[in-house]
Amino acid sequence: MRQFAKPLLAVAAICTAAAAQAQTAGSISGGDEMLDRIRAKWQPGGAEMIPQDVLTMFPCHDEELPCGKIPPPPVERVTFDGPLQGDAKRGEAIATNVRYGNCIACHILPGHEGGTIGPSLSEYSKRGMPLEYTYQRIWDVRAFNPYAFMPVYGPNRVLTDQEIRDVMVFIGTGGK
Amino acid sequence: MNRLLQLGLLLTLVATVHAQVQHDFWPGRERVIPHVSGDEMWSGTYKNWKDSEAVKKSMAAGMMSRDINFKDFRWLEKSFDGELKVDMGREVFHRKSSNGRSCATCHGENGEKLKGWYATQPRFSAKANRVIVAATQISICAKEHLSEDWPENTRNNSLLDMYLAYLSDGRDVDIDVTSGPMKEAYEKGRDLFFKRTGHFHFACASCHTGVTTQSYLRGQRPSTFFGDAAHYPIYHFPYRLPGDDVEDIFTLQHQIKSCQMLSRMLPGVEGSRTLTAIEVFLKASANGYKMSIPTQEYNMSTGYLLRDGL
Ligand code: HEC
Ligand code: HEC
Ligand code: HEC
Repeated sequence: MRQFAKPLLAVAAICTAAAAQAQTAGSISGGDEMLDRIRAKWQPGGAEMIPQDVLTMFPCHDEELPCGKIPPPPVERVTFDGPLQGDAKRGEAIATNVRYGNCIACHILPGHEGGTIGPSLSEYSKRGMPLEYTYQRIWDVRAFNPYAFMPVYGPNRVLTDQEIRDVMVFIGTGGK
Repeated sequence: MNRLLQLGLLLTLVATVHAQVQHDFWPGRERVIPHVSGDEMWSGTYKNWKDSEAVKKSMAAGMMSRDINFKDFRWLEKSFDGELKVDMGREVFHRKSSNGRSCATCHGENGEKLKGWYATQPRFSAKANRVIVAATQISICAKEHLSEDWPENTRNNSLLDMYLAYLSDGRDVDIDVTSGPMKEAYEKGRDLFFKRTGHFHFACASCHTGVTTQSYLRGQRPSTFFGDAAHYPIYHFPYRLPGDDVEDIFTLQHQIKSCQMLSRMLPGVEGSRTLTAIEVFLKASANGYKMSIPTQEYNMSTGYLLRDGL
């Protein structure tokens, strides 16, 4: 079963890219193959730009390369396993660093001026948005809006489950 | 298990029959036309910047530069630092190589025979048997006639690119994408511009269409893709992409690559079919717009800060 599952998934993804709506537990703290491959080559947040051999793991422009034929990452619908625990300081660093989460490019954040492409998150805590909702928004925004202009943090393993939780604590998800 | 296997075989069959992958595209490809006026359907600001008179009027009326699609300082103002690069390019053009020839030997003093040429690039080259950008033509001639190795992302190539573009300053961009290999390249480039790729799963169009173009991406100002190609190459604040030996000139190839890097997409190879196709798309989206060479990267100009009150 395990042996078949992978090629099957790959093929299914190719055939039904747009329709595919994978379910995941949303837990990628370790033992996740794609995440491990990325983090073995690159630690986000440092001075290094993301290296080319990480980028070839995702769809690319050049159709003469294998990555030119990689299908899009299927939309991932996730459930949130509480309680929310995380480190606000780490979350702040992740959210404001260009080479990490870079939420600041598009959002005004608590205590930080930022971009205005997404809604301001400076008062997010006051809105008492559900954890489940916020987690899904950050994990894969396409679950709400296929053309929302926000990175797919979960499916492409931009951030780990715990890093997303740290950011959620920083912006004050679920009220204070 | 058995069911799964059957399904797998079926899917494999379907996949082999349609060996084509379904990519994710940013919406709007079908609304694109190969002319600068196509912007009216995108930013709706085309009338504010369609020529220098319009830009001046918009500025006088106190419009914010985003309502002029940033054409005020990226296109209207010439660059002093850019002029120096043009002079350096002119020098390379006339410099004799070991065989006693220079570009000027065959193409005329001061590039006499190449006036207006750049406005029609990229084009299909019978010799290369594919569509090529200006930098590729320069590289071909340098190798063949001067025995110089000046590929697309090298300093002498970019200086020449700047100089040849300057010889077309004031001409309207005019490339024909209605048939043949140019049409193919245009459509390929358009699709690539709208294709979602990379770590963030963004398309070029994610930043260069829609709300982003009316907004400020943390101090940066992405514009719609119409018209911009008419002012390339630009003078750029010294900034070197890894592996290149050019730092103060951004050709369009270089800008495309720079944007790929900025948005965690796999950077392409300058002069490759892929980046050439994207350039064809961008150039065609500037058809009918006047070239303005040399200009410079917007960060260098601070006038807009005063007007936007930011
Ligand atoms: C490239 C721009 C961009 C980046 C980077 C970005 N976002 Fe967003 N974000 C958006 C946009 C646009 C929306 C609105 C989505 C929609 O229209 O459906 C949004 C929506 C949200 C929402 C929902 C807000 C609400 O009012 O319901 C949250 C929460 C959020 N983003 C958090 C984050 C976090 C945390 C990060 C960094 C890890 C981040 N975003 C990075 C653009 C971005
Ligand atoms: C010995 C003569 C010779 C020299 C020297 C030479 N070229 Fe060329 N060039 C040609 C010929 C022949 C063609 C047409 C065939 C082709 O496309 O390569 C051409 C084509 C071109 C074109 C395209 C013109 C058109 O009408 O499409 C450009 C631009 C150009 N060369 C630039 C340069 C530059 C820049 C240099 C110096 C690095 C240079 N050439 C050196 C002979 C030369
Ligand atoms: C994450 C957002 C983003 C993405 C994705 C993006 N760009 Fe850009 N682009 C920008 C910004 C911001 C600028 C403004 C100039 C700068 O900052 O260098 C820009 C500038 C440009 C320019 C020059 C415009 C001018 O007025 O001079 C071109 C051409 C361009 N981009 C093409 C592309 C292409 C092609 C792609 C896809 C490979 C792409 N961009 C992807 C943000 C983006």
